[in-house]
Amino acid sequence: MSESLTVTPGDIVREAAALRRSLDAGFREEVVTSLYGEVERITRRAVQDSGSGPLELDQRIDRVVTSRLFGLPLMLGILAVIFWLTIVGANVPSQMLATGFFWFEDLAAAWFTQLGVPWWVTGFVWHGVYRGLAWVISVMLPPMAIFFPLFTILEDLGYLPRVAFNLDYLFKRAGAHGKQALSMAMGFGCNAAGVIATRVIDSPRERLVAILTNNFVPCNGRFPTLIMLATIFVAAAFPPAVASLVAAGAVVGIVLVGVAFTLVVSWALSRTVLRGEASAFTLELPPYRRPAMARILYTSLIDRTLFVLWRAIVTAAPAGAVIWLLANISPGGVSLATRTADFLQPLGWAMGLDGVILLAYIIAIPANEIVVPTMLMVYMSQGMMTEMDSMDGLRALLVDQHGWTMLTAVNLMLFSLLHNPCATTIITIYKETLSAKWTAIGALMPLALGFIVTLFTAAVARAVFGF
Amino acid sequence: MFAPEYGAVTAVRKHRLAQARERTENALKHLLRQATDGHAASFTSLQGALRMGDRQLMALTQRLEREGLVRSEGAQFQLTAEGERVALHVLRAHRLWELYLADELGVPIHRVHEAAERAEHSLSKAQLDRLSAAMGHPVMDPHGDPIPTGDGSVPESPGTPLGAWPPSTPGRIVHLEDEPPLAYAQLSAEGLRLGQVIRVVDRSPTRVVLSDGENEYRLAPMVASNIHVAAVTAAQVAQPWPEGVLPLSGLPSGASAEVIALDPAFRGFARRRLLDLGFTPGARIRSDLATFAGDPRAYRLRGTTIALRREQSDRVLVKPLA
Repeated sequence: MSESLTVTPGDIVREAAALRRSLDAGFREEVVTSLYGEVERITRRAVQDSGSGPLELDQRIDRVVTSRLFGLPLMLGILAVIFWLTIVGANVPSQMLATGFFWFEDLAAAWFTQLGVPWWVTGFVWHGVYRGLAWVISVMLPPMAIFFPLFTILEDLGYLPRVAFNLDYLFKRAGAHGKQALSMAMGFGCNAAGVIATRVIDSPRERLVAILTNNFVPCNGRFPTLIMLATIFVAAAFPPAVASLVAAGAVVGIVLVGVAFTLVVSWALSRTVLRGEASAFTLELPPYRRPAMARILYTSLIDRTLFVLWRAIVTAAPAGAVIWLLANISPGGVSLATRTADFLQPLGWAMGLDGVILLAYIIAIPANEIVVPTMLMVYMSQGMMTEMDSMDGLRALLVDQHGWTMLTAVNLMLFSLLHNPCATTIITIYKETLSAKWTAIGALMPLALGFIVTLFTAAVARAVFGF
Repeated sequence: MFAPEYGAVTAVRKHRLAQARERTENALKHLLRQATDGHAASFTSLQGALRMGDRQLMALTQRLEREGLVRSEGAQFQLTAEGERVALHVLRAHRLWELYLADELGVPIHRVHEAAERAEHSLSKAQLDRLSAAMGHPVMDPHGDPIPTGDGSVPESPGTPLGAWPPSTPGRIVHLEDEPPLAYAQLSAEGLRLGQVIRVVDRSPTRVVLSDGENEYRLAPMVASNIHVAAVTAAQVAQPWPEGVLPLSGLPSGASAEVIALDPAFRGFARRRLLDLGFTPGARIRSDLATFAGDPRAYRLRGTTIALRREQSDRVLVKPLA
């Protein structure tokens, strides 16, 4: 340092503070304007515009994708195709995985028996914990491994911002943010991932609206239930050639109901506990890009599929154990599962469901994908989770033996949309909001709505249509 | 009930403490305001400002003296140096918080005062320093009141009260007093805002008429006295918009235009966002895509496509190109 330097940092700070007060209020604007002016000057010198072929193609695609007439139908069509591919494509690998896992279960249980391990240890470990895990993996992994890459392709193409653009008007009317459409779309894969995806929303109020309503779109774990109902009660009336298409269409219909609930609840929240005006919405519609397949496979399989699957496994293992215990502890000759189901029966009946379905939903709090297997297990009074071989057998069991009607199917679909989020999602809501209050609201509000809606539809159906 | 941290007893005590802090700070704020305005603060003026009973107020002033925040001279009260420091902290909290609510969270401007009255008692100095830094060390609150600096200096309140401003001379609004709230609500409902250049057209004992060249504002003298104006430099006189300027939302689909300006009343986060995206004067823009509802619309700007809701595109003024 030379001696002539007499300016201290304190002097500079003081000088800056004094100058700041003499600045015009619009000085930030002048800074930005001059920056852009400089950028324009440089680009004029350095960048040559060689006609814009791909740009024009982009804009022509955008004309169709966001057009008043085709924008929304195209979006629904793409959604239907993705569901159809997921339903059709996941079927065979799911069966193969299940066969493999259950073959190993029998083998391992046989070893245990040979080694002289007590029957209840074998049952608990292999027919309880292991079988629960095997079920979750074989039901969840194939659809996720198909759905997530397809979805990531759409994301990579740049289509999702167009969806947000198309739907923004509806969300604005609901007092919410257009980017809520993005987090909602992620929710189809997994609500926990959807809750994390709300980070793209700047406004805290609108972000909270998006978090609390994310559960209204069915996730992968709930699709098996919806697909089963669509197949048994809707597609069964159609020839097999189109059955999978009809099932996909029915699932899209249910999804639309879920979207309607998302909008209505967002609207209600914006006028009550989360009152406020819709904030600014600026969204860049990026140019379309050729998807980078290697990266898509990596991010969708490693970051999303395995990540979600791991968390499901962590929660499903204890659930498998609980199912096994409930089904095998039988004080007085009647299993705990049956006793609990009988206890829940009056409430279940009032909701147009039955006690077994409610019991399945309680056990399935950790992971929604074990709802159907738990139901079937109790219905068949068999000691472990099971799957029916054919849809006809399933239909016979539910309709003929356990008195399912169209009301049961409709209300189960509604309850599948409107109930508490799974444990993983609840934990994620807590991590994202760091508030016990909002977490409780996020968990209980959909459940309360589910009770109200199903009690209402059941009462109406019984009074008007005589179910 | 009696749990040391969460019990009801603790909750009651915490509430009492918070209430005591609020009263102390409001009393100090009143003394500071009186001193700034050049008035003496008395028991009666305190009573009017705090709306407290004789006995309570007596206890409060005695406590303030004991704590060395206030000293009394006859019937008058004055802040000590320490009292002024605390009062400036509260004032700084109030004004920073108002600015934060209005600019960053988009709270309507007539609702920020009340919210800041509550928040000002619960912010620490460190929190204020962070808030101030995050907003780029702002110098004025949304009403044009100067924000005290962290080291406790208060810049002078700029401007001359409208009552003392010569008629027909253009003046730029630099401050709209936000107390009483009712008068402020009327000013903002009339559409008067900071930075606007106005002239007094007519003044009588029952009303004051202002004009900004386009609109006339008729105000009761009481209300008009809450406006402070300052001299105008040539650059600040609002140039009339060029012929044919319209809001971006009114630009027909497919048409091109040049950005002229962003609406001056459009401020804070939303304004900065548009600037950062390149909505600067002189930029070329084309109305490109519309959704099924006609809102939002997407615009081509600087080689990108950007979607805006009508609330934003209404605030961008453009001049269509032939």
